[in-house]
Amino acid sequence: MRVSIEKLSKVYRDRDGRQVIALEDVEFDVEAEEFVAVLGPSGCGKTTLLNIVAGLLPASSGQVTFEGERRPGTPLTATVFQEFALFPWRTARANVEFGLEELGLPGSERAARARRYLDMTGLAGFETRFPHQLSGGMRQRVGIARALAVEPAVLLMDEPFSALDAQTRALMMEELLAIWERTRQSVLYVTHNIQEAVYLADRVVVLSRRPGRVIEIEPIALGRPRTEAHQGDPAFIRAVDRIWGLIKAQARSALGEERG
Amino acid sequence: MRRRVFIALGLRGAALLAAVPAHAQTKVVVGALRLTSSAPLFVGVDKGFFREFGLEPELVFFQAAAPIATALAAGQLDVGATGLTAALYNIALGGLPLWIVADKGREWPGYPLTGIVVQKQLWDGGLRSVRDLKGRRIGVTQLGSTFHFHLGNILEKDGLRLADVKVVPLQAMPAAVEALKGKQVDAILVPQPFPGVAEAQGFGKIIAWAGDLYPWQAAAIFYSKGFAADRAKAGAFMKGYVKAARYYFDAVLARRDGRLVPGANYEEVVAITAKYTEARPEIIRLGFPYQDRNGRLLVPDIERQMKWWVANGFMKSALPLARIVDTSFVEDAVKSLGD
Amino acid sequence: MAVERLTVIDRAAFLRRREHRAVRVAALLGLLALWELATRIGWVPALFLPSPLGVIGELAGMASSGQLFVHLAASLRRLFLGLAVGAGAGISAGVAVGFFSLAEAVGQPLIAATFPIPKIALLPLLILWLGIGEASKVTVIALGVFFPMAINTYTGVRQADPLLIRAAVSFGAGRADVIRKVVIPSALPMVFAGLRLAAGTALLLLVAAEMIGAESGIGFLVLQAGNLMETTKLMVGIAVLSLLGVASHWALSGLERLAIPWKHT
Repeated sequence: MRVSIEKLSKVYRDRDGRQVIALEDVEFDVEAEEFVAVLGPSGCGKTTLLNIVAGLLPASSGQVTFEGERRPGTPLTATVFQEFALFPWRTARANVEFGLEELGLPGSERAARARRYLDMTGLAGFETRFPHQLSGGMRQRVGIARALAVEPAVLLMDEPFSALDAQTRALMMEELLAIWERTRQSVLYVTHNIQEAVYLADRVVVLSRRPGRVIEIEPIALGRPRTEAHQGDPAFIRAVDRIWGLIKAQARSALGEERG
Repeated sequence: MRRRVFIALGLRGAALLAAVPAHAQTKVVVGALRLTSSAPLFVGVDKGFFREFGLEPELVFFQAAAPIATALAAGQLDVGATGLTAALYNIALGGLPLWIVADKGREWPGYPLTGIVVQKQLWDGGLRSVRDLKGRRIGVTQLGSTFHFHLGNILEKDGLRLADVKVVPLQAMPAAVEALKGKQVDAILVPQPFPGVAEAQGFGKIIAWAGDLYPWQAAAIFYSKGFAADRAKAGAFMKGYVKAARYYFDAVLARRDGRLVPGANYEEVVAITAKYTEARPEIIRLGFPYQDRNGRLLVPDIERQMKWWVANGFMKSALPLARIVDTSFVEDAVKSLGD
Repeated sequence: MAVERLTVIDRAAFLRRREHRAVRVAALLGLLALWELATRIGWVPALFLPSPLGVIGELAGMASSGQLFVHLAASLRRLFLGLAVGAGAGISAGVAVGFFSLAEAVGQPLIAATFPIPKIALLPLLILWLGIGEASKVTVIALGVFFPMAINTYTGVRQADPLLIRAAVSFGAGRADVIRKVVIPSALPMVFAGLRLAAGTALLLLVAAEMIGAESGIGFLVLQAGNLMETTKLMVGIAVLSLLGVASHWALSGLERLAIPWKHT
């Protein structure tokens, strides 16, 4: 499905009663089967944006519309969280089945789907483990399997690999790309890591510091499927430089502000 | 030089000791209950009969009889003046000897000591006899108390058993009265003045006096082992007690032609009893419990009591009488006081 | 400058704690032996301090005559009923007050006001209202269990990770499912902590209740033995109560390990 974000704004009052503009007039689309990254410094409202699209937060103005075909019985969105958000009292399999329970699927179908996505994310043999028995990378695989299992129209990912170490992160990115080539949902991927955004996405939406505004939408001219070799491609390096140039000044002033 | 200082200090110390008042050495601690049945004791203390024989009694009051036996065993009392309970016998059985030495009250026909008091409401509804107590909740102070003993025996006389009623232990006499008032129990067994108070206040009705149904040696004076060993002190106490018992008997228990005739000192004894029990004189006048004029015990009844406790599972075995009863103090006192 | 060559020595050795398991057992046995000796040679009168062997003998006698099990059964029945009612009500109240702001506004000040009352003090009042039978006994136990359960459940519910709740909602869970699938499992560790607290209180209140107007039960046994000055039987009652306390602790720990496997492996 296609997601249209039109003139989206979010305003709220902070602890001292002052008005804070988290998002201001954000506008862009995610086409069907497109992988879009949302990039920006901390506090730019990217997680707020994701929550609004997921229906977990109301917008102050503007709207989000979903358009297109959807298989019956599938939800609009499913989210993968930065801190994994796995239910510690459920095994890996039971976590993956959570969304399927909420969809009202019968037990046998839930089991079948869970098995499929657990296999897809490399968790075969770990179905009965509890989250605390799994490494960070494994846990996020469960998170991804759980979101994919409900077969959403749009997959929302909120800095899914930020909590992992660099090596695991690199491996997980490869895995994500491999899985996505097979499932091909629209993906809205939030991150603060430029290389990650450029490597994974078809387009990168760059947001400014608060109030979060779209500075630019950068198309990524790299072929698919992406491979590690692409990370040495001049187009890759150029894109990263370009985007860094856009947000460097912002990042610097943020640093200065925090110190002062 | 130093030796002289020591001698001087020693003399000073001796002088101090000698200056300590004599009555500190002749104190006798007596445990009792605030009941009409303790009247002889109150008379003895109030009229100085114990002081006459060189003793200064200190009365310590309790809320039930068995704790007095326990306190005696623990060395906190010299003399106990209260009901004969299973606890008292078990203490002696358990290896802490004590001596039952004199009569301090019997359940006796025609003399009120313990009353069987039922809820006024139930009496109005027809609960009038021991037979009607079947299946009812009966409040007593403690398990193994004189009330428990009495209840069991009057039930047996009417062909019933203890198991036919529900015995509710309430630990203290005022608590038993409150429980009757609050209708937590259907009947209670309590000693004077409580039955009189219950009737006067309108929440209870006496269906019978215990002594009319089953007479027995209910209360006694008993000595701790240590106190009994001091024959001079123990004997002196008994002299004072027998003198008080005679005064009491002549004042309130005397009969002529089968009718109670108040003696010369009747009102005085009523007043003393009212003072110590804190009940009104009218209630005291309802009646005084019976005891032997010279304080002599019904010794065979003590053996009968122990057998009953054993039969009902409250004692493991009975004691030989010679190990728990000592009538020599009473006999010596009677001899010494003359007629 | 002279050249040195030194080996590293363990400087933290004195900080390490050893278990001394043998000493623990020996200490306990030694105490019992000393106690038995004291009563044998008459240091303390046997009436005041019955000998351990005597107590064991009496316990065996009461067990074989069946008397012990009559009392134990009566006590356990009251204990379980009180625990069930109190915990059921307490957990429900805790979830309601923790999850619904209206319930919190009403319930939290009520609970805070009534919680400090020692439940033992309510026993005479309960007897007045409910009579001297089983109702007042089970109620006082239930009350004593209710408060730690309600408060602990409430805390457990409030502590539920908002991220997990958000995740559940993101997958389509409504209020009922959030409570059932996220809030309650989150609160389980606190609930079990509450149960452990409540068990101790329940035992205490059981004994107190059985000392007023009961005809059976371990508390009644203790009362009766005390009234009759049968101190050996009294010690049996006390020993059984202590064993009950230990057993309930073990049972709860085992139950917790079953119910909260994710915290213990």
